Amino acid sequence: MKGIKALIILISPIFIGWPALFLGAYGVTPFMVLKILLNETLHIFEIGDIPEKAIITDIRLPRVILAGLVGACLSGAGVTLQGIFRNPLVDPFILGVSAGAAFGCAITIGFLSSFPIQFMAFIFAVSAVVIAYTVARTQGEISRLSLILSGVIVSAFFTALVSIVKFLVDPHKLQSIVYWLMGSFSLADWRHVRISFPFIMAGLVPIFFMRWRLNVLSMGEEEARTLGVNVKRDRILFIAFSTLAVASAVSVCGIIGWVGLMVPHLVRMLVGPDHRILLPLAISGGASFMIAADTLSRTLTTFDIPVGIITALTGAPFFIYLMRKGGKEAWGR
Amino acid sequence: MGKIMNLEVESLAFRHRGQQEDVLRSVTFTAHQGDVTAILGPNGSGKSTLFKCIVGLWNPYEGEIKVGGKNPSKFSVRERARLFATVPQDHEPPFPYSVLDVVLMGRASYVGIFSSPKRKDYEAAEEAISLVGIEHIKDKPYTGISGGERQLTLIARAIAQSAPVMVLDEPTSHLDFRNQLKVLSTVRSISRERNITVLVTLHDPNLALLFADRVAILKEGYVVAEGDPKSVITEDLISKVYGVETRIISSDGTRLICPVMGELT
Repeated sequence: MKGIKALIILISPIFIGWPALFLGAYGVTPFMVLKILLNETLHIFEIGDIPEKAIITDIRLPRVILAGLVGACLSGAGVTLQGIFRNPLVDPFILGVSAGAAFGCAITIGFLSSFPIQFMAFIFAVSAVVIAYTVARTQGEISRLSLILSGVIVSAFFTALVSIVKFLVDPHKLQSIVYWLMGSFSLADWRHVRISFPFIMAGLVPIFFMRWRLNVLSMGEEEARTLGVNVKRDRILFIAFSTLAVASAVSVCGIIGWVGLMVPHLVRMLVGPDHRILLPLAISGGASFMIAADTLSRTLTTFDIPVGIITALTGAPFFIYLMRKGGKEAWGR
Repeated sequence: MGKIMNLEVESLAFRHRGQQEDVLRSVTFTAHQGDVTAILGPNGSGKSTLFKCIVGLWNPYEGEIKVGGKNPSKFSVRERARLFATVPQDHEPPFPYSVLDVVLMGRASYVGIFSSPKRKDYEAAEEAISLVGIEHIKDKPYTGISGGERQLTLIARAIAQSAPVMVLDEPTSHLDFRNQLKVLSTVRSISRERNITVLVTLHDPNLALLFADRVAILKEGYVVAEGDPKSVITEDLISKVYGVETRIISSDGTRLICPVMGELT
């Protein structure tokens, strides 16, 4: 039973990605989507120069792939951060990682346009998580509540820094920063996929191989040490890799919150907490969730609503549900 | 193994950073291989500090801790985990791992950082589970079993760690009467079967009388008595260490101490 659930989650991006390609303002039949994809990859069908082809391969396909990659990053990083901080209520957004990355991106867009955007995003995302962790840590261990509070503080701080950038840049750039901060895939193209893919993989692949360590680290600092784990080094590695993934995600699509909180929880409910299974499934579940949310955001109305709004509208009630359900236990040690 | 893996502690002293007073002043005792050695002492006597110094969580300390004649103070965390298996006090992890998954964590010092447990790790975990007698709950969530079962799971995890020394920090403190006896008799039979050096901190002197081969009694950072529990635990000593008047009662060759009520000094 658990095996079937796991398999369904694992291959879900394909089943969600397909309708994401045929749904939209310009109607394309499901069959035509398959035909176009087969034409592009295997060259079996001959289908001339029809408008559907450009819509699918140049507009929708890169957008679906980018959404999938970003969802995978945010959800994978969510699992990682929840594991190393042994706190089911954190994700990259709550800990301020996204806000830090956003500040890095904003100063790059505003003042350092010749710089690779991922670089500054990574630097400030790492600073954000290190500050959040240091502030929360008192006498060895950290309580769940204090980590969330310090995440809120760090988020607020970096959001304020972003505001300063917005205030100082010229209005033309301001517009692009504001739109990008809302979190959206509407500008996605193959260039975005090409730029972010290596960074995202450089973050997620090592985490995938290290994932069993998350089980041990989630037992707490002292216990993991007596079990033979170099806690400090492993935490630094996990933070570095997950932040790299999040920073590259933020630098292509802005801040999209709550995904890293919701998806890991849903997947954990279905397949259990063992990170050897949880992490890969959260990665593919995150991809599916983000593709679905993005498809909603562009088909719900005639406008392309920023997908960050959709995830926040679902994420906030979800957080409240977790809080109520967990009760005292969720907030205590 | 060849070498005799006794745990020797010699004039160990420890104080917390920035504090004037030593928690441990001069602690000397030996725990022998294949024996259960109990550390007794009132609250604040330094039992937990001693525990943390031995497994390497707290340092630096003065004096020496040796296992099989070797000083592990320069060991890496991984090497240390292969020497000391630690059973922490009862606790609740944030995620409901299965009992088997918790026991598997005992293999962390044998599994590389970019790797996951292999078949031999599963074999070690399964063997430890059956040795402790918890096969029937191995797929249950660790958060959904009783306190006694949790303690047995942590003991199985320590066995899976395949270390010559096992250190338990008050394994009975949250358990009911039956589970206290069950956990300690399991510990004792494992120390015999596997020829492991077991060190356990306890609150109840009667449990030491029932299960320990040797006992070291700690008061204000000193070992005030060490040796065979039956000869060390006397009415006089208990009154000195705990400030409680007691009588020794014997029945069927078992000696127990019984407090004399109304005379707490």
